[in-house]
Amino acid sequence: MSEKPEHFIVDGKRLDGRSVDELRPIKIELSPLDRADGSCYLEWGRNKIMAAVYGPRELHPRHRQNMTKAVVQYRYNMAAFSVDDRIRPGHSRRSIEISKVGRDAFEYVVFTKFFPKTAVDIFIEVLQADAGTRTAGINAASLALADAGIPMRGLVSACAVGKVDGEIVLDLMKEEDNFGEADVPIAMTAGGKITHLQMDGNLTKEEFYEALKLAKIGCDKVYKLQRQALIEKYNGEYAENGEDAMPQARIGDADE
Amino acid sequence: MDDSSIPLPEGQGITNDTAGNTADNNATNDSDTFVLPGDFIGTTEEFRAGAQTYEKTGGVYAAITGTVRVNTARRLVSVIPCTDTPPVLERGDVVIGQIVGLRDSLAMVTIAGAKGVVDREIPNVGSAVVHVSNVKRAYVKDIAHEFGIFDILKAKIIDLNNMRLDTSEPEMGVMKALCSNCRTAMVRHDSKLKCPECGRIETRKLATGYGTGII
Repeated sequence: MSEKPEHFIVDGKRLDGRSVDELRPIKIELSPLDRADGSCYLEWGRNKIMAAVYGPRELHPRHRQNMTKAVVQYRYNMAAFSVDDRIRPGHSRRSIEISKVGRDAFEYVVFTKFFPKTAVDIFIEVLQADAGTRTAGINAASLALADAGIPMRGLVSACAVGKVDGEIVLDLMKEEDNFGEADVPIAMTAGGKITHLQMDGNLTKEEFYEALKLAKIGCDKVYKLQRQALIEKYNGEYAENGEDAMPQARIGDADE
Repeated sequence: MDDSSIPLPEGQGITNDTAGNTADNNATNDSDTFVLPGDFIGTTEEFRAGAQTYEKTGGVYAAITGTVRVNTARRLVSVIPCTDTPPVLERGDVVIGQIVGLRDSLAMVTIAGAKGVVDREIPNVGSAVVHVSNVKRAYVKDIAHEFGIFDILKAKIIDLNNMRLDTSEPEMGVMKALCSNCRTAMVRHDSKLKCPECGRIETRKLATGYGTGII
């Protein structure tokens, strides 16, 4: 692992040249997986995440079924090769926690009442990790759910904020995450409802509110990218072969 | 409105203006408005929330990715999905299942799939029932003459709440049956079934596509 840098911010630029309120570049690909009901591949800086959604499908063992609503199952897993030192495959204390908070981030959003006795399975595979994989996983899962056509209150967007060199910064990279003073991953809906918030390190009340404000800006940016990805995929498809996609529908002449 | 923090791109969210002036006989309109989950479609004063939408604090929002459809006569707004969606069975859908039990007046069926549903599991389908009165148009004296246990059945849903099926149409009925003597697949001979192994002859309410495997 690299050494702690002396300064994280030099002349207003961070280690990788970003400003304090800048996200790493995000690349989104929808439905890369054929056999999943919905899927999304997301690159966020050097993070590479594959998300797959299955269901709603029958839940086994049956005693875990809920007679009134669907159960959301979320599995966050890091590939053994996803970090510099190989990690032991399978779940860990950390991955179980992330799976739990990821599930909680989506339980509010998915209309579970429509599908009693079933499970909506979300699988997040981290293929390459570079800080912020839980937020990247939530973003990918949100798109995979939309891709699977599962009714939702809205998309969930997530990003992390943190504190390095006494300054609040958006979207921590690996060095900032490892040696920084605080790391706050936040997920929210487009309406600003927070569905996930964790805090590692310490912030004062003022710093926290500043961080929250910055996180909202970050989530807005992520939301726009998610939106754009879905529109490109589905509005484009609709324009090309709308007749096949919707046999009953009357198709408008222009679809710009 | 609490969804206002992220401004929607231009042209998102309003449908009623374009919908109103092109109202035709069936009074439904597919506007080109493309919506994503959580997008604002209209207010509850304008529309009732139809399929794939939901109401929240006086607004109607999309629950799914798709295009907006407005029924101006019923003031109903719904979203026609552009994505693949979880299959939902409706009255009149054709299903495939296996007979798992026979009673005096009913046959119990476990539903395995439906016509038109290819890759996705249908949530919450389990057992269904065919009552003697829905087996075929003619009088059925004994249901055991029409169905056998483990038969593969093609049937139409006539009641969604109690999952009642109907096989009275010619295309509906048994698609594959096993000989009750030796369990080999029976072959159709006119209106009866014959076992190629032991020569046993049985009767069934046969579907026109018996033995073809074509739903």
